[in-house]
Formats: sequence, C-alpha cells, structure tokens
Amino acid sequence: MTFPVTSTSHSLAEYRARGGYVALEKALKQMQPQDVTKEVTASGLQGRGGAAFSMGRKWQVVVPDDGQPHYLIANADEGEPGTFKDRWILENNPHMLVESMLIASYALGVRNCFVYIRGEFDLPYRRLAGAVEEAYAAGYFGEHILGTGFSCDIVVYRGAGAYVAGEASGLLASLEGKKSYPRNRPPRLTVKGLYQRPTVVNNVESLSNIAWIIAHGAAAFKEVGTPKSPGTRLFSVSGHVNRPGVYEVELGYPWMKFLEEDCGGIQGGRAIKCVVPGGVSSKVLTGADIADLKLSHEALWDAGSTLGSGGMIVIAEGTCMVTLLAIMLRFYHHESCGQCTPCRHGTGWMHRIIDRIVAGGGRPEDIERLYYISKFNDGTTICGLGDAAGYACTGILDKFRDEFEYYIEHKRSRHDGNLECLRSS
Amino acid sequence: MPEIFINGQAIEAREDQTVLQVAREHGIFVPYFCWHPQLSVVGNCRMCLVEVEGRGLDIACNMPVNAGMKVFTESDEVKAHRKAILQFITLNHPVDCGICDKAGECMLQDYHYTYNGAASLSLDDKVRSTKYYNLSNRILLDNERCILCLRCTRFTHEVSKSMALGVERRGDVSNIRPVEDRPLGEDPYSDNIVDICPVGALQSRQFLHKARVWYLKPTPSVCPGCERGCTIQIWHRKPEWFLKSLDQRQNTSIARITPLENPAVNGPWICNKGRDLTRIFERTRADQPMLKGRPVPVAEALDAARRLIGAARHPVALVSNWGSNEELEAFKRYLGEVFHTHVKRDWQPEEGERIEDDLLIRPDKNPNTAKARDLFGEDEPAYHDGTDLVLVWGEGYDFARIPAQAKIIFLNSYLAPENGHADVFLAVSIQTERAGHYTNFQGVVSAFEPCFPKGESVLDAEVLFKALAAPARGHP
Repeated sequence: MTFPVTSTSHSLAEYRARGGYVALEKALKQMQPQDVTKEVTASGLQGRGGAAFSMGRKWQVVVPDDGQPHYLIANADEGEPGTFKDRWILENNPHMLVESMLIASYALGVRNCFVYIRGEFDLPYRRLAGAVEEAYAAGYFGEHILGTGFSCDIVVYRGAGAYVAGEASGLLASLEGKKSYPRNRPPRLTVKGLYQRPTVVNNVESLSNIAWIIAHGAAAFKEVGTPKSPGTRLFSVSGHVNRPGVYEVELGYPWMKFLEEDCGGIQGGRAIKCVVPGGVSSKVLTGADIADLKLSHEALWDAGSTLGSGGMIVIAEGTCMVTLLAIMLRFYHHESCGQCTPCRHGTGWMHRIIDRIVAGGGRPEDIERLYYISKFNDGTTICGLGDAAGYACTGILDKFRDEFEYYIEHKRSRHDGNLECLRSS
Repeated sequence: MPEIFINGQAIEAREDQTVLQVAREHGIFVPYFCWHPQLSVVGNCRMCLVEVEGRGLDIACNMPVNAGMKVFTESDEVKAHRKAILQFITLNHPVDCGICDKAGECMLQDYHYTYNGAASLSLDDKVRSTKYYNLSNRILLDNERCILCLRCTRFTHEVSKSMALGVERRGDVSNIRPVEDRPLGEDPYSDNIVDICPVGALQSRQFLHKARVWYLKPTPSVCPGCERGCTIQIWHRKPEWFLKSLDQRQNTSIARITPLENPAVNGPWICNKGRDLTRIFERTRADQPMLKGRPVPVAEALDAARRLIGAARHPVALVSNWGSNEELEAFKRYLGEVFHTHVKRDWQPEEGERIEDDLLIRPDKNPNTAKARDLFGEDEPAYHDGTDLVLVWGEGYDFARIPAQAKIIFLNSYLAPENGHADVFLAVSIQTERAGHYTNFQGVVSAFEPCFPKGESVLDAEVLFKALAAPARGHP
C-alpha cells in the first residue's frame, strides 16, 4: 500500500481523517506518563537514526517528576549521505511527528520540546512550521492541552548546515547557540543534556512511531517485523535502482526481493556491485553478501554492517570504488568539526591520500596508511564521526582492495571504460 | 572512598575525582595537552587515553572513578594509541622547533621524544595557516603550531572572563581567533595564555626570539606590582651562558617573567603588570652616593648622614612600603628609636591601570604595605616647626612637602631629580639584587631571591640602617 501523497495530505484535517490525534487523547486522558514509557519499552522500538538503541531504555533514564525541567528534541538534522526519510515525514506527514512529540513530552515530563531541523530543508521546514501552527490553533500545544493538566510548547529551530550537529550532543551545543562541538560522555544526555538538564534526543522517524504504538498498542507493533527488530522502517533508496525513493518496509523483509521487485531492479539490468546499507557511515556489503540477507538489524550486524539511518545506496557493477571512497572521504573531511585530534587530522589525512591516489600519485603504502588512520580513529574520538570515516574507508578497502592496488599501480581506474591494451604502452 | 587499581596498584580515590586526577595525585603520569587543573574538561586532545579492563580505551581526564575499576596507563594498546595521537597532532604541525620560543619547555616536544620518536608517516603537504597573527599588542598567534587544545579560549571564558577568544571554521582549518568586540588587549591577564599554551602557538611579543629557554634560569621572586604579592619567576641568563661579547647587558637583564604557582596567593596566574616588571626594575639606576649632588665615596656619605642624625633634635623618617620585611625590621631595630617614623606609599595607580578586580589585582600598588603598617602604624607623614631632619626611603614623595628648614637624607635606587637635592643621597639595592620577604594584604609571606649583582657603591638597606645607627666618626 502506498501513502496517498496529495497537495493537502500534510494538513491537520487530512491527518485527523486518517485517525490522527486519537492517540494523544488516549495518552493524556487514559494513561499515566510511566504507562506510556512502559508501552514504548514493551514495543521494543529501536532508534531509527543509526545506532538502533532501544527507545524505551533511553526514556527510562528520565524520571518524569524529579523536580527539574526535562527536554525532548526531535533530531531532524538529517545529514547522513544517502538518507532522506525524515524529510519525507516532515514534508508529507508532519502531524505524525507533532502528535508523537506531544505524547513523548507527556511521558517524559517535558514542558518545552524542540525540533532541530537542518537549515538546508526548506519545504520540510515550511510544512513542519505550518503543522505546528495548525496544532497550536487546534489547542494541541500551549496550556492545559485537551482540557487536561498537561502543558507543552514547541520550538522549531533551524540548523546552520553542519553534519556533526546531527550528533545528539553536537545538536544540543548548536541549540544552545554554541559551535556544534559534540560533548564527552559521561554524563549521558539523559542525565545532563540541554542546558545541563535531562534531555531525550530522538530521531524524527523513531518519534513518529510513538503515536501509532500508543493508538494500537505495543503488541500490535511487535506483530510486524522480527522479534529483535520489531516494526517497520523507512528506507531511502538511491543509486543505480530503477525506482529510487522512500519505502516503508517491515523489518525482516528479504533484501533482494525489495531491490528487485519494489525498487524495480538495477538500472540497465547490471549486477549489484555493492550496497551502502544505511548511510555512508555503515560498511558496504557486496552483491554476494546481501543475496540471502533480510532487512533487519540483527541480520546486518551479523554481516558486519548496520542498517544505520536507512539511507540505502545501491551501486551497480562498473562503478569505480576508488572514486566512490574519495567522495565519501571528502565529505568526512569537510564535515569534521575539528574538536578532537584524531578526527580533525585523520579525516583530512585520509582525504589527501585518496585524492592523491585518484590523481594518479598513489603509493603502495597508501592502503596500509588508510587502514592505520581508520584504526586509530576508531574509538578514540568524542563522537562517532571519526569512527564512521574509518568504517566507510575500511569497509570499502576490505572488499575492493584489488581495485585500489590496480589504481595505484596503473594510475587509472579499472572502471574508466578504457581497455587495458590501449594504455599498456 | 572507592578503591581503584591503576596499573595493578590499589589506590583510594575520592568519589568526585577523575582517573587523571587520581593518577596525578599518586605520581602516575598520564600525558595530556588540553586538560588543565584550573580549567574545565573538554577532552579534545585525546592524549590521556587509558585502558579500562572490560571497557576498552577512554580518556582519563573525563573518566569518573568507579569502585574496583582496573585502569592501565602503559598497556601496549595505550602506547600504540598515544603514538598515533602524536602522529595526528604533528601531521599538520610545522615542527619548527628550531625557531620556536617554546622549544625546551614544549609539551609536544617532550611527548614526542617520550612516546613517539618516529618520523611523520605522511609525505603529503601540511595544511597551511596564518603565522604571526596579531592577537593583541602583547601576543602573537601561530595557527600552524596550534593543536586546538582550547586552553586559551577556556582561560578567557572561565578565568579572566574577557571572552576574547573563540574558534573560527571547522575541521583541520579551524583557527583560534579574537572575538570582534572583545579585544584581548584589554584583558589584563592575557599573557597567561602564553604560559598555558602547551605548544608554541601563542607567543609573547616581549619574549619573541629573545632567548632560548635553556640558556635561562628562573629565580623565585614576588611581584611588587600590588599588595596581592603574586609569586613569580624571574628568568635571566644562566651564568655559564653569559655573553662574552655582543650586548653584555643581556647577562644582567630580565628575559621574561612567569607565574610561580602558589595556591595560597595567586594560583598559577599573574596579571600583565607582573610581566612588565622590567618597566620598573630596568629604569636607569642611581648608583653613586652624593652630598648635595656631589658624588662622594660611600663612607663619606654615611658619615655625613650619621652626623645629620646625631645633630637632629626632631628627625622624621618616611619608610618605603617597597622595603622587605627584613629591611623594615632592621629600620625599626636600629633607627626606630631615633626617628618619628611614618609609612610612605611609593607607588600610586597609573593612568589607565586596572584598580581592582575579583581575580588578583588589588588597589594598593605597593608590595609590603601590610608589614610596614604593622611595624610603623598608619599615620600620614606629619611635620612641625621643629622638624630639622627628614629621612626619605624610596621614591614617590614630593620633596616640596618637606619643611624648608629640614635637612634631607634620601635613599633611592633610581635616577631622579630629587637625588641631587638631598643633603645626603645614598644608593640602595632593588628587589632583583637582594633576598627578602614581602607580606601581602592577607598576611601571606613570600620570599624573593637575588638575580643579579649590585653596583659597588650600592648598599642593601638592611646594612645601611645598621651602619647609620653606629656613632659618627667625628668631624672631617
């Protein structure tokens, strides 16, 4: 079933017609805050931003009435390359997020919640801002919502275009008006987050599930998906497929079936060379790797990668992996915030090496050097950006090392379309 | 009191401590750049990575102690990572130690030899950035040497509160830059960032290319700039490295002044005035005793002074609050019975000088007022018709206020017009030429030691007072 996107499908009236804001009423009038958290924990919902951490366990750390303010933040700074699923929600169903945030605020004892939306999002911002206005007009925000004792306000805050602001603590720093430098843990953000208060930062898609879970119950949610990965996920598919776009897929769905049938197969009928499963920070998997895989968190972890943010990039046979890695590493170099040493220098170092290889100046030791940098970036940095750059790099190097060796030796890509005999002299 | 294990050694820690603090307290050295005991933890240099059993690597500076945790600071994994971190730090660092003022006291240099020792693994170009960036009229910034530990920005935010520095751009092109509307030049504590910079990125213009630090030695001293009495180190040339040609004045001049850490008074900081003591100490000296402006040998001047004292019926003395505790006590012991003694305020606040603040600077711009008042009371100098002799010790007193009939004995160290007007002028030594103690406004006593030899005809005030108390040797 497809979602009927029309020129008004994002409006409050149509959202209500689809059964919207019923869950909010149910939560506020029939449930205690801790019951909502219990329901979310029981659903086994995992974060959809990349780490797939249990939402319920994150929420449980926050004690709703411990006398201090709490904050809830929807992370709409969707910056992971290849990912554009939150954008779809914000553009076409923003009220799903708004309602879910209200329920979550109720559960967590939050008076003020925030949406941190990336600055490059224009239509999503306008749609969300419109939805918030509609919600205020309908009495879903403000004092005494729906005649209950619960009050809540929302602020939609636009970022200024830093990838690292999508990292929860970097986001908080940016929201506080500082440079988006991620923070060291401990303390965890659920203990000391925004303005040093307990804060829950959730991905837009993760939060958007809450309304459905409250309306239909955790048991109904767990009926879909696999036992370890319940529910459905949005995948934003791009690359060499015939029908790229945002797909809602129940977890545990066969991967090849998804690509061949739902996404219309690979362009030109070529074989799959590799797939970036969930944003470029997850390790790539080759066509052979994914042949029998199912789209679930546990299956991907077993295969040595992760579903990450659900930003799936399909790469067909004939693509130059050296150039692909160069593009990825340029991104990480450009987006490193420069706070901690290994990432600040490591990402730039990797970028210079790969650029030199692409320009034909590669040296045999360069591959080892890339491994070296990746190794010492992993686990030594404040946030995950340094790690991710290393994963992207080693993921490709592990599987396509011969291509890099070829490039370095012949000073050209094996996939540049030229026959070898023409270049041999 | 949770017990933790560092390298197998059981240590009692306090609950609010981090592993780095515990290790430091027990003499276990963990290298770090960005951590500083007086500043907040940012944990960005990643140099203090240690291994915790069951948890892998993490930074010690931000690691709360947990009962029973087993920390390893020298495991193979830790050593490999330290080495790699130093590779990363030196990747874009110019490694221009040969022309860097920090060489010899640079944390990066020390760590490189201790933990890395290998050449750079990179053969690619380094990231270039600005050199000699003008942060203020006192400080230059070399962005290529900067390792972005953010000690300087944190200092201006947390200690001096001038908020003068921030970081511009991101990634490996991040730069420390001054904030437009908060000039660092107006921060009276700005030079401390030069000291806390772990590398040679921040350079003092006073000291720029002036000396290699291994030719210098620090002598502990006390800043006379205000009644806070911050302890300082006066850096000057080691005797074994004295210049035998060229500008030999360098052998006896102050190269630079840095704070001497002292939790009781100033912590690890001093203000910029304390760095500028050459302005006070290296003025032209008066090193020749005189009678009414006529140069005479020391013995003759002393005799003349003794005769004046012996003949006086109502002598008044104005003692200097720049005198050390010992000198003030000597005056009291030898001459206290002879003179009506008052405490004189040698220095007044200069125009534009910060008078007082919450950190260090105090309104009284003299070092030993507390001790002087303790010995001689707080009365303002007073004369009457019978005043026939005034002994003025130290500068800053207007001779016009002395009754015309009174003879004047003047003890001073610097060239001044009054020197020649005094009936007897005696040259006394300055702080850098003698040892002694000052008592600050809180009653804390700090010691200073001599750095340089004094001139032949210059006397220490302590000796001078004893000599003045001896009977005169009759008429010449």
